[in-house]
Amino acid sequence: MFEPAVLAQILWTGLATSSHMVLFTIAFALVLKVVKLWNFAQAGMMAIAFYAMYAGVNQFGWPTLPSVGFGLALTLAATLALERFGFRVLRARRSSSLLFFIFTLVCSEFAAYALTLIFGTEPAPLFERILSPVRIVAGIAVSDWDLLALGVTIGLATALALYLRFSSDGRCLVAVSDNAELAELYGISAKRAYLIAFALASVLVCAGMYLYGTRTAVIPTAPLQLMIFAVIATLLGGMGSVLGAAIAAVTLSLLQSYSILIVPSKWQGMILYVFLFVTILFFPSGAHPMRLLRRFGLRRG
Amino acid sequence: MKVNRRVVLKAAVAGALSAGLPLRLWAQNRSNLKFGLAMPLTGSQSAYGKDQVTAAQWAVDEINAKGGVQGHKLEMIVLDTQADAQVGISTVNRLISVEKVPVFITAWSAVVKAVAPIANREKVLELSVGANSPEIASLGDYVFTTFPLADVDVNAVARYAHQSLGKKTAAVLYINNDTGVEAAKVYRDAFESVGGKVVAYEAYDPKATDYSGMLLKVRAANPEMVHIHGLITDLPQVIAQMRQLGLQQRVSTYSAGYNPNIIKQLGPAAEGLIVTSLAPGVGERPQVKEYVERWQKQENRVPNGLPYTQYLHDAPVMVARMYEWVLKNKLPITGENMRKALLGVRRFDLPLTGVVEVDATHRVKKPVNLMTVEKGKFVLLATVN
Repeated sequence: MFEPAVLAQILWTGLATSSHMVLFTIAFALVLKVVKLWNFAQAGMMAIAFYAMYAGVNQFGWPTLPSVGFGLALTLAATLALERFGFRVLRARRSSSLLFFIFTLVCSEFAAYALTLIFGTEPAPLFERILSPVRIVAGIAVSDWDLLALGVTIGLATALALYLRFSSDGRCLVAVSDNAELAELYGISAKRAYLIAFALASVLVCAGMYLYGTRTAVIPTAPLQLMIFAVIATLLGGMGSVLGAAIAAVTLSLLQSYSILIVPSKWQGMILYVFLFVTILFFPSGAHPMRLLRRFGLRRG
Repeated sequence: MKVNRRVVLKAAVAGALSAGLPLRLWAQNRSNLKFGLAMPLTGSQSAYGKDQVTAAQWAVDEINAKGGVQGHKLEMIVLDTQADAQVGISTVNRLISVEKVPVFITAWSAVVKAVAPIANREKVLELSVGANSPEIASLGDYVFTTFPLADVDVNAVARYAHQSLGKKTAAVLYINNDTGVEAAKVYRDAFESVGGKVVAYEAYDPKATDYSGMLLKVRAANPEMVHIHGLITDLPQVIAQMRQLGLQQRVSTYSAGYNPNIIKQLGPAAEGLIVTSLAPGVGERPQVKEYVERWQKQENRVPNGLPYTQYLHDAPVMVARMYEWVLKNKLPITGENMRKALLGVRRFDLPLTGVVEVDATHRVKKPVNLMTVEKGKFVLLATVN
C-alpha cells in the first residue's frame, strides 16, 4: 500500500475528486464572507442546478452546452429570487441569525421535496454513461474526467481570485465583506454586492454539480450531504477566508483519501465528522497553519 | 300476548336480523382474501420495487380472472417501505393492525429482518421474496423465504470463479448493510474453502458516492477477480470508478446485477461482468418468454431485475394455493393457519420460477444460472446445481 505509485495515485485521485467539493466550498465561503450568511439554501441551488441540466440533456434532448446554460440560468434565477424576495425581506425586518439559518434550511428541503415530486427518487447521473476514457501516465490512471474536473476548478478559482482582486465589482465585494455599513458610506451598494456574491456562487455551484453529476448518480437529497463537507471546510479554513476554505477543502479531501492507508474504507465517511468535532471544539476560528504553529510554540506570535 | 308497538318493533328487528344473517354469512364467505405487499415504491430502490409490484399485480389479476380462490377474489394491499427498515416497520404494522392480513410479502434484507419480530409476535406469516441475507433463515417461525438466500448463489459464483475460471485471488467489496455484510462473508468463506485467497475485503458506506480509496486498496492487492456485493444503485458506480482507476479485473456480483441499466451505464466496461439468476431464463420456460414479451409489449422494456420480478409474480400464486388449502381444510383464516398451509402444501409448482420447495429449515434451493455480459447483452455462462 505504501508504494510510490499507490501514494501518487491517491494524491491524483484525491485532488480530482476534491474538485467539485472545492467549488461548493468556495461558493459557500464566498456568500458567508460577503453576505455574512450560513447559506444552507445552497444545497437547494445545487439540486436545482443538477436537475435543470439533467432535464436539458435527458428530457429535452439538448446538447451539453445549452443544458449547462439552462442549468446556470435556472440556478441564477432561483438564487437571485431567494436573495431579492427572501433574505432581503428578513434583513429589512432585522431577523435573527437563527431565523436566517432556519430559512435557508427550509429552502433546501423545499427544493429537495419539489424536485423529488418532479423527478422521483431514483438516482440518476447526468449522462447515460458514467465512464470517461482513461490513460496510464507514469503508473497513474488519469481519466478525462479528472483532467476536466481539475481544469474547471483551477480555472474558476483563478478567475474568481482575479475578479475579486482586479475588477471594480470585485473590490466592492471585498469592501462590503469587510464592513458593509462603511462601504455604503463610500457609495458602494451592499444590495448589489450581495446579488453579485450569490450570482458568483451560482456559477460555482452549477460547475460543481456538472462535475459531480457526470461521475455519479444524484438524488434530490444528495446535495444536503455534500453541503456538510463545504461547512466543515469553511470552518476549518477560517470563517471569512475563501482561499482558506478552498485549501481546507483540498486538504480534507486528501486526508480522507490517504486515510485508507490506516483505516478501513467504511470509516472514511466518519473522518469528516471527527474533523467537524475537533474544529468546533479546538479551532473555532479556523485552523490556519501559522496560527497552529504559534499555538504549539513553533513560531513566535 | 299483548301485541303493542314495542312487540311489533322487536319482531321486525328479529326478522330483519334473521333474514340478513345468511346474507352476511354468504357475503363473508365470498369476501376477498387479502394479503399484503410491502415494497419500495419510492426511494432509491423504487425502480425495482415498482416492477416487482407490477409483476405481482399481473399474477393477482390472472388468478381473479380465472375465478379467484374457490370463488373468492384475491386482494393485494400494496404499501411502500422505501427499502428502509423504519418505514418497513410502520408499513407492516398497518398491514397487520388495520388491514388484518394473515400473510404479507416483503423484500430487502434490512426490511425483512426489521419486521420479522412483528410477524412472529402477531403470528402473521411473512414471506421474504427477493431478499438474500443468509440470516433470513433464522428469523423465526413465521418468516419464510421463497427466494434462495445468498449462501446459494454467492456460494456458486465464488466456487465457479476458482474452479472453472481458475482465479486464485479475489477482492470482496460490499455495502456495509444487511445485504452486503453477510453475503460478503459467504463469498469469502466459499472462495477460500475451495483453495482461493481473498486478498482484499473492504466495506463501503451505503451513502458513499466516491469509492476511490477502497478501490486503490484493491489495486494495491492486485486480485485476479473482484466480487462486489452492493445494491443496484451503487454497483455501476463502483465498477465505473474501478475502471477509471485502471482496474481491469473481471467482476462478479449477485442477482441485483442482472439489470439492463448496468450495461447502459457502463457500456463496454460491463463486458465480462458475471451476475447470478435464480430463476429460469427465457429459453428454459415458455411462460417466462410470454412474460418478457408482455413487458416488452406493455412497458416497452424488460423489467428491472427480471429474476426478482419472476419470483414476485409467483408469490401471489403461492398465497392463492395457501388460501385454497386453508379453505379446503375449513380452517379459520389466520396467520397460524397460513403457516400451516405453507408447510402443508410444501411443494409449489409455479409458472415463472418452477418448483419451489419450502420446509422447516426456512431455506429454498434452486439451480443457479450464471450470466455474463457479452457484446452488450446478458448471456448464459453456466448453470450450477
